[in-house]
Amino acid sequence: MKKNNAILLSTPYILWMLAFTLIPLGVVAYYALTDPATGVFSLGNLRDLNMYWGVLWESILYSLISAFICLLLGYPVAYFIAHQGAVAQKILYMLVMLPMCMSFLLRTLAWVGLLQDTGIINDFLEMIGIGRMQLIRTPGAVVLGMVYNYLPYMILPLYSTIVKINPRLIEAAEDLGCNTVQVFRRVTLPLSVPGILSGITMVFVPAVSTFYISQKLGGTDTVLIGDVIERQFKQGNNPNLGAALSLVLMILVFVCTGIMNRFGADEEGGVIA
Amino acid sequence: MKKTNRILTILIFIFLYIPMAVLIVASFNTGKDIANFEGFTLHRYVELFQDAHLLQLLRNSLVVSIISTVVATTFGTVAAVGIHNLKPRMRKVVMSLTNIPMTNPDIVTGVSLSLLFVFVGTRMLGQRDALTFWTLLIAHITFNLPYVILNVMPKLQQMDNSLTDAAMDLGCTPLQAFFKVTLHEIMPGIVSGAIMAFTMSLDDFVISYFVSGLDFVTLPVEIYSYTKKPIQPKVYAMFTLLFLLIFVLMVAMNLLQIRADRNKTVRRSKVETKAMRTFRRVAAGALACVLLVISGYLIFFAKPQEQITLNVYNWGQYIADGSDDSMEVIREFETRYPHIKVNYSTYDSNEIMYSKLSNGGITVDVIIPSDYMIARLISEDMLLPLDFDNIPNYQYIDESFRNTSYDPENRYSVPYTWGTVGILYNTKYVDEADVTGWEVLWNEKYAGKILMFGNSRDAFGIAQYLLGYDVNTTDKAELQACADKLLAQKPVLQQYVMDEIFATMQNEEAWIAPYYAGDCLTMMGENENLAFYLPESQGFNLFIDAMCIPTCAKEKEAAELFINFLCDPEIAGANMDWICYSTPLSAAKDYMDPETVFDPVSYPSDEILAHGSSYAYLPEDISRYVEGLFMEVRNG
Repeated sequence: MKKNNAILLSTPYILWMLAFTLIPLGVVAYYALTDPATGVFSLGNLRDLNMYWGVLWESILYSLISAFICLLLGYPVAYFIAHQGAVAQKILYMLVMLPMCMSFLLRTLAWVGLLQDTGIINDFLEMIGIGRMQLIRTPGAVVLGMVYNYLPYMILPLYSTIVKINPRLIEAAEDLGCNTVQVFRRVTLPLSVPGILSGITMVFVPAVSTFYISQKLGGTDTVLIGDVIERQFKQGNNPNLGAALSLVLMILVFVCTGIMNRFGADEEGGVIA
Repeated sequence: MKKTNRILTILIFIFLYIPMAVLIVASFNTGKDIANFEGFTLHRYVELFQDAHLLQLLRNSLVVSIISTVVATTFGTVAAVGIHNLKPRMRKVVMSLTNIPMTNPDIVTGVSLSLLFVFVGTRMLGQRDALTFWTLLIAHITFNLPYVILNVMPKLQQMDNSLTDAAMDLGCTPLQAFFKVTLHEIMPGIVSGAIMAFTMSLDDFVISYFVSGLDFVTLPVEIYSYTKKPIQPKVYAMFTLLFLLIFVLMVAMNLLQIRADRNKTVRRSKVETKAMRTFRRVAAGALACVLLVISGYLIFFAKPQEQITLNVYNWGQYIADGSDDSMEVIREFETRYPHIKVNYSTYDSNEIMYSKLSNGGITVDVIIPSDYMIARLISEDMLLPLDFDNIPNYQYIDESFRNTSYDPENRYSVPYTWGTVGILYNTKYVDEADVTGWEVLWNEKYAGKILMFGNSRDAFGIAQYLLGYDVNTTDKAELQACADKLLAQKPVLQQYVMDEIFATMQNEEAWIAPYYAGDCLTMMGENENLAFYLPESQGFNLFIDAMCIPTCAKEKEAAELFINFLCDPEIAGANMDWICYSTPLSAAKDYMDPETVFDPVSYPSDEILAHGSSYAYLPEDISRYVEGLFMEVRNG
C-alpha cells in the first residue's frame, strides 16, 4: 500500500517536471536543428556556432576567475561567521542573504553610477588629486560585477559546511601538536571541500550565463554567451541560432557541474547547501 | 589571523552594501543622476505612490510569487513525501529530474520554456497570445518546485519512520498520521523551502524576461527596460522601501527564531496544550486563507471586468508621460474613454519589435514602426487594413505624408511623426571643426566617448552614407564592406546604444552619438552643451514612424480609437511638445510651443530635406543577411 501511495503522490510531480523541464529542452533541440527561414531540418545553426567559440571561452574564463575570487573573499568571511556566537551568526547570515533578495538589476546599475567616467569613484579620485581612471567597460568591471552579485552564493554554502565541522576534531589536531596553520590546512580545509565545490558551482553557473552584467559594465569587446543568446532572441530574430547556443551553454554547464559532483560525490541534491 | 579575518569581513560587508547605499541615497536626490547628489527631497516617495503603473507592476510581482509559492509548496511537499517512499533507484531518477532546473542556467530555462509555450500555444493550439499570466505562473511554479523538494527531502530522511508507525499502531489512518506526525516533523523544511521559493520568484528577472508576453509583466522585467531609459528616481524610492520591508521581515523572523530556540531549551518537557495547538492550527489556516483570498482578489477582481485592455507597443520615450508639466497622453485617453485601459510597453528598435511580433505568443493592438519596417510587415501579412471611418482625424494628416512609398494606398498606417537622423555632440569636449560628417564617429581622438546605434538598419545606414552606397542596396559585397567599416569603428566605441543614449549623453559620459533628431532635441533640453549636426552633403536618413494595427490585435476598434485620438491636433500638439519629434499634422502646430515649430532641427528647410533619403523595404533574405552581419560585428 505504501508503494502505491508513493507512486500516486509523486506521479503528478514527475509529469509536471517532464512537461516543463525535459520537454522544453527537446523543443530547444528542435529549434536548434531547424532553419530559421524555412523551418526545415538543417545543421546550419550548428555550423554558425563556429563563430562563437571565442565568446564561449571568454565567458568560461570570466566566470572561473569570478568564482575563484569569490572563494578567496568568501572563505574568510564564512569562516569568521561560523566562529561567532549563535545570535551573531544568525544576524551575519541574514546580512549576507539580504542583498540576494534585492533587485540585482538596480544593484548592478548602482555600480554603473559608481564606476563610470563621470561616476562617484572617479569624482572622488579627481578630488583627491589622483585623476580619473578608466574603470567601467573593462574586463575588470565585468568580473567585479560578477563577484559582487554572486559572492553571497559562495559564502552561504561555505558557512553551512564550516559551521558543521566538529570542534573536537580541531581540538584533537591541536592536542596532537598542530599549530593554527596546520589545523586549517589538514582539518578545516579538507572538511570544507563540499562547501567549496557547491559554492563554486553556484557562482559559476549564473556567472557564465549572465547578460545584464556584461551589458552594463562591459565594453563593446566584452561579449558573453548570455549576451549573444539574448540578442538572437530579442533583436536578431533568430531563435534557432539562439536555441543552438543555449544548447551549447547547457551542455557546458552540465559537464562542469558533473565534474564538480564527481569530486564531492554527495548523495542527492548536491547543488543546494 | 583572527583580526585580519574580522577586518576582511567588515570590508566585504561594506562592498556588499555600498551599491545599495548608493541607491538609497539616490532616492532622496532632487537631481536625476545617480552619481550627482544635488539636494535632499522626499518628493520621489510621493511620486512613487502616485504612479499607478509602478504599483500595478509591484502587485503583479506579488501575485505571481504568492500564488506560485503556495502552489509549489503544497504540490512540492506532497511530491516529496511520495518521492521519499519510492524505491531508491526510482528516487535517484526523480531527483536528477528535480536537479535540472537547479543546475540549468536561468537563461536556458527561460528560453526553453518560452519556446515551448510559443510552440504549443501558437503552432499547436493556434492561439494568438500564448504568453500570458498563466504561462508565467507555470514557469514560476516550475523553478520554485525544486527549492521546496530539496528543502523537504532532508527533513523526511532525518525523520524517524517508527514515529508514523507508532501513530498508526495507535489507530491513526495514514492520512491522520501524516497530518499529526510527519507534517509536524518536516515543517521547518517546508517553511524554509517556501521562503526560498518566494524570494526567488519575487526577484526573478531572467526567466520572466523570456517567458512573459506584453499584457502581464512583473516588476523586475519592467525595471530592466527602466534601466535602459534614463531611470526615474521614484524607482530608487521603491527600492528603498522594499529594502526596508525585507530588512524588517528578516529581523523579525530571526528574533522569533532566536526566542523559539530559547523557549525550547527552557521547557522542552512541557507538552503543548490542546488549546495552544488548536490556536496554532487556526492561525496557520487563517493565514493561508488570507493569502489565497488576497491573491484570488488580485487576479480576478482587481480589474473591472467590463474594461477593454488595449495593448500599445511603442518606442521608449515616445509619448508624453506627464513629466516636465507635459500632458499625460495615455491618462488623457483613458479619461476620455473610461471603458478602455491602456497597457503600454516599449521597445528599443524596429528590429526588437519585429522579433517580439514574429516570435509569436503575444497580442498587441497598436504599434508604431518606421517606414521600412511597415513595408516589411505589410509584405509579410502582419498588418491589418485600417477602417478609416473610425479615424476621422486622418483628415488632418498633411498631403505630403499620404501615399507614401511604404504604404502607397494608405491602407495600413497613419503617420505619427517624422524626422531626420543626425549627430549629437557635446561642444564642451568635441572640437566643432571635427564635426564635418559621419566620419567623426570613427575619430580616434574621441575614442571611448563615441556611441553607435544598437540596431542593424540605422548602423548600416550610417556606414552606407559614409561609403557612398545606396542605403537600400541589396548588393551583398557592399553590405559586407559596410560591416567591415562598422567593425573598424568598434575600437573607438564606448557602447552600442538605443534608449541608453539619453542617460549617457546627458551626464556627459559619452560625447558623440548618432540619433533621431527629436530625441536629440530632448537631450539638448536637458544639457545645454549638446548640439546637433546634420551631415547634408553625405546624406542622412529621413524617416516616418506611423501607427499600425498588427494581425495579432484583439481590440481593433479600440485601437482605431486610440490612433484617432493621437491624430487630434490638440493632443498631437501637446504630445509633440514633449517628444520633440516633427509632426505630420500642420494643424497641430497651432497648439505647440512656437519655439519648437520654428526649430530648424525639427523642421529643416526643404532644401536640406532634399539631401535625405528614406530606408525602403529590403527582401526577407537581405534583411536576415544584414541582421546576421550586424550580429557578427557586435559579437566578433
